[in-house]
Amino acid sequence: MTTPNTFVYEPGDHEAEKASNSYLMSLIAVVAGLPLPIINLLATLIFYLGNRKGTYFVRWHCTQALVSQLSLLFINSTGFWWTISIIFTSEQITSSYIAYMFTAIVFNVAEFIATMYTAIQTRKGIHVKWWIYGDLTDLICKP
Amino acid sequence: MKKVLFQILVLVAVFYGMWFGLSKVDWLKIFKVEQASKKTEEKLGELFWEVFSKTEKEVKNKKVTLPVDSLLTKLCEANGFDRKEIKLHVIESDDVNAFAFPNKHLVVFTSLIADSRSEAELAGVMAHELAHIQKNHVMKKLIKEVGLSALISITTGGSAGSEVIKSMAKTLSSTAYDRSLESEADMKAVDYLIEAKIDPAPFADFLARLGKDEPEEMKHLTWISTHPESKERSEKIIESLDGLTYDTQPVLAPETWELLKEKVKE
Repeated sequence: MTTPNTFVYEPGDHEAEKASNSYLMSLIAVVAGLPLPIINLLATLIFYLGNRKGTYFVRWHCTQALVSQLSLLFINSTGFWWTISIIFTSEQITSSYIAYMFTAIVFNVAEFIATMYTAIQTRKGIHVKWWIYGDLTDLICKP
Repeated sequence: MKKVLFQILVLVAVFYGMWFGLSKVDWLKIFKVEQASKKTEEKLGELFWEVFSKTEKEVKNKKVTLPVDSLLTKLCEANGFDRKEIKLHVIESDDVNAFAFPNKHLVVFTSLIADSRSEAELAGVMAHELAHIQKNHVMKKLIKEVGLSALISITTGGSAGSEVIKSMAKTLSSTAYDRSLESEADMKAVDYLIEAKIDPAPFADFLARLGKDEPEEMKHLTWISTHPESKERSEKIIESLDGLTYDTQPVLAPETWELLKEKVKE
């Protein structure tokens, strides 16, 4: 899911710290964002906007942290509104709903572990590219 | 770009594949969800009936209850429902009404019997309420009106007093179900009636007739006010019968029906 790569240049310590913080931001947001999934996206978006003018390494990782939230945003929003409709409307709990929640949990846990790993590696100045999101970031973020 | 799109497709496929695979497991059985909701319904039915029976007078006269029971038994037996599961109550009231409570309580008011011109009309309304019971509309409506969390808190001895239960019982007896649920109950009622060899046409007539009544006469016609668009529903039933052939057999002897009408008018 994640692969360490060599970046186009050797990032400095201050860059590594900032880049790593973008992932920490999304980790903290996961906790607050579970009941309201949009918070995850907003937190990383604010961090991204704040570092838009940063160095390439920082921008690249802020972008990856932001786009990596997209899949979870869809998965968690669906789960959130499905749960709300069960609690407040005539919608009933089905095996399909429970299966969805399990799948959502697996994807959340996978993303959580990957984010944690990336935050640690990036802090050391190691460039970590995620599957899908790494390539997507390459397309969006240019030097 | 192509690589990214392909990877996104793979991710979506993995997600749906996992979801599809997991939904093949009967989680409801594993987590005993059905058992829990059945217990909630049983408890609610008990609480509702306890509160409702305190304010209303239940008819115990066998000349009234037995013929109504015979109609219900006929409907149940012909459609493979367990008659013992359904708790039938005949209530003395000026309101023309019939409704269902949770845990398969079926309540019929004496004025509904008095207003029915034939046993088939009464059986039609009962079949309609039976459909609400069999299709779990009662719990669906309650969950929609008050929410699942409130229902669970009531049944687990939460903060709800008898006033809350009373108002919920009122909701069930005096407000309409969703139009789609009403329509489903009508169509199911027609099926039940045909299976029981009872003519469904008088049920449509009953709806049409009560729908036509003058507003001042409507004040006691609760069943009609809680079942709006009677005319359209009546037409829909007639339409569904078009081209159908079915046998009919009387359930009650004519004199039993007459005696029943006489007793409820007393």
